[in-house]
Order: sequence, then C-alpha cells, then structure tokens
Amino acid sequence: MNLRRFFAARLPGRQHVLAVYAVIVFLVYSWTLVTSFYKLPSWTFYLTIGQILSIYAYAFSLDLLESILALAGILLLDLTLFLALKNTEEFQSRSIVVVLSALISSALRFIFFPDYEDVSLFLAGELTWWAVAAPLGLLLSVAASKITPLRKILDSIAERAVVFLYLYLPLSLISLVVVFIRNID
Amino acid sequence: MKKISRRDFLKIAGASFAGLLAPEQLFSLGKADADRPNIVILLLDAFSAKHLSLYGYPRQTTPHIDTFAGYSTVYHNHYSGGNFTTTGTASLLTGMLPWKHRAINYGGLVKPELAGINPYTLLGDEYFRLAFSQNPWPDRLMGQYYWDVDRFLPPSAYSLAEDTQLIEMFKKDRALASIAVEDFLLPAQDSASAGSLLLGYINKSRTLNETSKKQTLAYINNGVPEIMDPGYLIPYLNENIYDGVLSELKDLASRKQPYFAYFHLYSPHYPYRPHNRYRSLFRDDGYAPVSKPDHPKASGLTEQFLAGQRNLYDRQIVQVDDEFGKLISELDRDGILQNCYLILTSDHGELFERGFVGHGFQLMYEPVLQVPLIIHAPNQTKRRDVFSPTSNTDILPTILSIAGREQPAELDGRILPELGGTADEDRPVFSMVAVDNPAFGEIKKAVVSMRKRNYKLIAYLGYDEIPDDFELYDLDTDPHELQNLASKATGVLSAMKEELFACLNNADL
Repeated sequence: MNLRRFFAARLPGRQHVLAVYAVIVFLVYSWTLVTSFYKLPSWTFYLTIGQILSIYAYAFSLDLLESILALAGILLLDLTLFLALKNTEEFQSRSIVVVLSALISSALRFIFFPDYEDVSLFLAGELTWWAVAAPLGLLLSVAASKITPLRKILDSIAERAVVFLYLYLPLSLISLVVVFIRNID
Repeated sequence: MKKISRRDFLKIAGASFAGLLAPEQLFSLGKADADRPNIVILLLDAFSAKHLSLYGYPRQTTPHIDTFAGYSTVYHNHYSGGNFTTTGTASLLTGMLPWKHRAINYGGLVKPELAGINPYTLLGDEYFRLAFSQNPWPDRLMGQYYWDVDRFLPPSAYSLAEDTQLIEMFKKDRALASIAVEDFLLPAQDSASAGSLLLGYINKSRTLNETSKKQTLAYINNGVPEIMDPGYLIPYLNENIYDGVLSELKDLASRKQPYFAYFHLYSPHYPYRPHNRYRSLFRDDGYAPVSKPDHPKASGLTEQFLAGQRNLYDRQIVQVDDEFGKLISELDRDGILQNCYLILTSDHGELFERGFVGHGFQLMYEPVLQVPLIIHAPNQTKRRDVFSPTSNTDILPTILSIAGREQPAELDGRILPELGGTADEDRPVFSMVAVDNPAFGEIKKAVVSMRKRNYKLIAYLGYDEIPDDFELYDLDTDPHELQNLASKATGVLSAMKEELFACLNNADL
C-alpha cells in the first residue's frame, strides 16, 4: 500500500501516461511501417501474402514490446532524473521530446553508418554521439515543456495520438497470437 | 588341466578388456552399413573449379584437395544450378532446377509445397541429421524444414561473432523469422535502418561492440590479421571453423545411428582475406589470365584490379586447402573418413574477368558456374574420373540412392555416374539467375545457361540493355568463351534454343 502511494505521488496521472504511450506507439509503429515499405517490393518477389503478413506479425509483436519498454524508460526517468521537476502538466511534452530525441538519434546513427565498412567508425563515435545527444535531448525536453505554446502543441498531438492505440494494440495482440501459433510445437 | 600363469591371465584379461572396448569402437564407427552409409557434404562457398590445380589451374592452389582426389571420384564438368548462393544451394538441396524450386531471389526460399524435397526430410529420422551454414541464406533455406534437422547450428557457430540467439527463440519458424528479425527488425549487419528502431539500435550496438572485442582479442592472440569479415559481420578464423567441423564429425561418429551432415563454409567467399603467411604467394609468378572484353552488365573494373583480386582469392583458396588437408588427415586418423561418403563441392564459382569481380548479377560464364565435385566413398582407395556433364541437382538423387531411399518424382537431377548412375554425354545441364524475376509465375527476366556436349548457350531473357540475346560457345575449341557463335552456328543455336524453351515452357509455374 505504501509502495502504491509512493508511486502514485510521484507518477503522472493515467491519462497523461496513456497519451505519452500513444505517441510512443504512433512513432514506433509508424517507423516500422515506413521502413517495411522499402522491403516490401523485394518481399513480394519471393514471399507469399501469408508469409508477408507473418513478417508484419513479428514486427507488430516486437513493436509492442519496444513501446512498453520505451514507456517504462520514460517513467523511470520521471521517477529519477525528472523527479525534482514534479510538474505533471509538463510530463507529456517533456516525455514526447525525450522519445523523439532517442528515436531521431538512433535513426541518424543508422543513416550515417549504414555499411559494413563503417563498423569501426560506428563504434569509435558511439560514446561521443550519446554523450552529446543524451544531455541535449534531456535539456531540450525540459526546455520544450517550459515554452507554453510548444507544450500545448505537443500535448494536443499526444491527445490525438490516442486513437492509434485502438488500431495498433489490437493488431499487436493478433500478431502475438500469430507468432505463437507459428512457433508452437 | 593346464594352470593359467599370471602372464597368461593378464594377457587374457587384457584381450577381454580390449574385446569389450573394440565392439563399441567398431560399433560407433560402423553403425552405418552399406544400406545406410554416413554422408557428409562439405560445401565451400564461392569455390570455382576453374581455380583449382586439380582441374588444371596453372597455380598450385589445392595440393591437399589433389591428394584427396587420389582416392575419390572427381567430376570434371560439374555445374551449379545458379550463380549465387540461394539458387545454387537450393538446387543442391532440392535436386530441382531453379525454375521449379523457385529460390531465385537474393535470400529467397524454396516454394513452400516443395520444401519437403530435401535430404533431411527424405533421409528421415533413421539418420542423425546436422545442418550448419555460416552463410545465413542457406541457413534460411534449411530453416524451412527445421523440424527434420536434429542438430541445427547457427551461422555464428565457431566464429568470433556474438550470437544473439534471437532466431533460437523462433526456431520452429526459422526461415521466416530470419527474414523478419535478422533482415528487417533487428539487423546487426549492413542496413541504413532497422524496422525496430530502438531495439534495433541496441542490438546493432551490442553485437558490434561484442564482436569488435573478440576481433581485437583474436588479433592480439594471433599476432597477424587473419580475420575474415564477410558482409554479414560474422568474423571468423578458418582454423576455428574447421576445428568445429572436426569436433562435430567426431561427435556424429560417436552416435549410435548413421548420420547426414551438411557444412556450408563461407571461405573462400569475398572478402578475400588470406592469412599473412599466404600473402606473398603467387606474387609476380608470371601467370597472366586471358584478357576478356567487358560485359555490358559489368562494372568496368580494370584488368589490374581484377588481377589483384584474383591473387587474393587464390591465396584464400590455398589457406582453405590447408585447413581441408588438416581436417582430412584427422578424419583419416580417426577412421571417420573410411566410414562415410564425403562430398566436397560448392554452391557457385567466382569471376575475375570481363570487368567484374564476384558472382551473381547476369554473368553466367564457366568460372562462376563450374564448381568442384569430389566424392570419397567409404573405403575408396583409387581415383575415378567422370568427364560427362553433371549438375548439382544430382547430389540429392545420389544421396537418396546410396541411402536406399525412393526418388521423388519432382527431382530433376539424376544419380551421379560411378555412384549408381550412368554417364550421359548428351544430357543438357542448366543454370539460371533470375533475381529480377518474381519467384511466382512465368520466368520472363532471367539469364539461363545450357551446357550440352561441347556447346554452351547463354540466353538473356528480358534484358533489353544487353545487345545479344544469345551467346553460343564451343567449349572444346574456345574454353574461355570468347567467340560468340550465335550468328555462325545457327543450326546448333536453334536446336539448343528449342530445347531450352521447351524446358522453360514446361516448367511448373
């Protein structure tokens, strides 16, 4: 009971958490869908429709896991690094900027070092990249949440993103079932 | 009654003890009988027959394979069904031609309804069946019948790479999960992006960091860079891989049932990174390959560059040959070699000509299609040579024949001469590359090679940018495929075209 009270006092409200989760889901699933469109032409060359749909089942299952982990990370940040800020009104905008920073940073790393020949460069610059990107992302997230017009825009995006939960979450549950069936003994 | 002396008692006891052990030893090596022999396929990726001294290459690249051939059957005109891994390997494993099995695209799969035509399923659980491919594409092909494989090693086995074990989570659906997870969602290899951005990034970073550490350690331990980094980022040391093959074979030999093992080893595939001790080989040895005109689909690489790459490839072959020699010596010493069919072959060859290096694309010349095939039968002591044309679609029918299994009607291959089959000089041997054609439906865009007697036809179907639709060579008088006879030997051309198109038109679509 004390533990529940402890978290309740420090965590933002359920609606806020849901709105942030919706943004995470929107970004994570959209990225998967967009990148899949680059693969789709080659898949249609050698895979049946059923096989292609099964690949999407794997993708949505993993996206579900990824989105839950991302939300867990956001809440952990709120319970630790951002604990002093305590402003639950800013939670949504702050979290969205954190998620965006992490996703954009990762995407840029992929884009800058796509090839096998880039491995040593990829590894050599990794620490420096995140040493700059992580504090910058956190700073931006705090700054963005302090600028009222920007915060309102981000909040409104978060509230509208909730609709995607109704689409992607049922798809993910079906996908989980498909993956389970395909791997059952 | 004579008393038994202490010495006699010790002799009898020793003999009895040896007798107790001997049947076990004999049993463990002799579980296979004439009807159910042990069968091992050792496939070296991108291993062109044209670069083996065994087949007349001027450089001494394969002294150990030459020795092995001294007590094996050597096939001198053996062709792969394709000019890259997926099609070549699928032809070998299914015994079918590419237009039937349809694994014709990069990383493609065998038609689901034909996936059951493979050595693992057809040999059945009477055999203990092992699969290991360093190259992920054959691993994916064999993943289509994962449940018929008793021991399925991941591509990273015996390598320096960190094994993520991701695919092990989805082992019942290995083929498709490999495409979904390894190619799309969490690629640790060449990729501008990952379908799963955050987890994909974490996976890439972790895999590369772990692999890099192991690589560095290997450099330090060996003193020289002998690590090969295939494009799949599975760095490995050839000696580790061959040691792994040996330990697997020893383990198989200790089992109480006949075994079938398929080892698909990456070297000498690009990138050619021979160990330093081979790096001065063939330098300024005076060997000058025949100069050939650039192919319209080639990238226009200079002769000097091609020669440099050829040297590296040849050195890589020497290194692989050394490892093969060590392996054979160990197998011979342990009595394993005498008790199995050992098939040494490749999935396709390699080209260093016409402005092109490597394999795949639309080039279907002899060095990329002609692959070694050397088969040692149990207790074989004399060399036999087969000069009639053979195809790697013949491997499966031959395996099934020596294991006393029925031949499915779908097979295109035939039982190899000297192993139960008969030589047929008039037989057409086909190879195809159709990466630009969907795996389903009619074959409209492909390059097909047809070897019949001394003639070879190359047909470019659907490639408008290539000026000549057909190339015809007389390999007896023109082994380097320099004189296109398509406009001169019109009778031969039309007869071969008719036969080729009859086959394509009758292909199971």
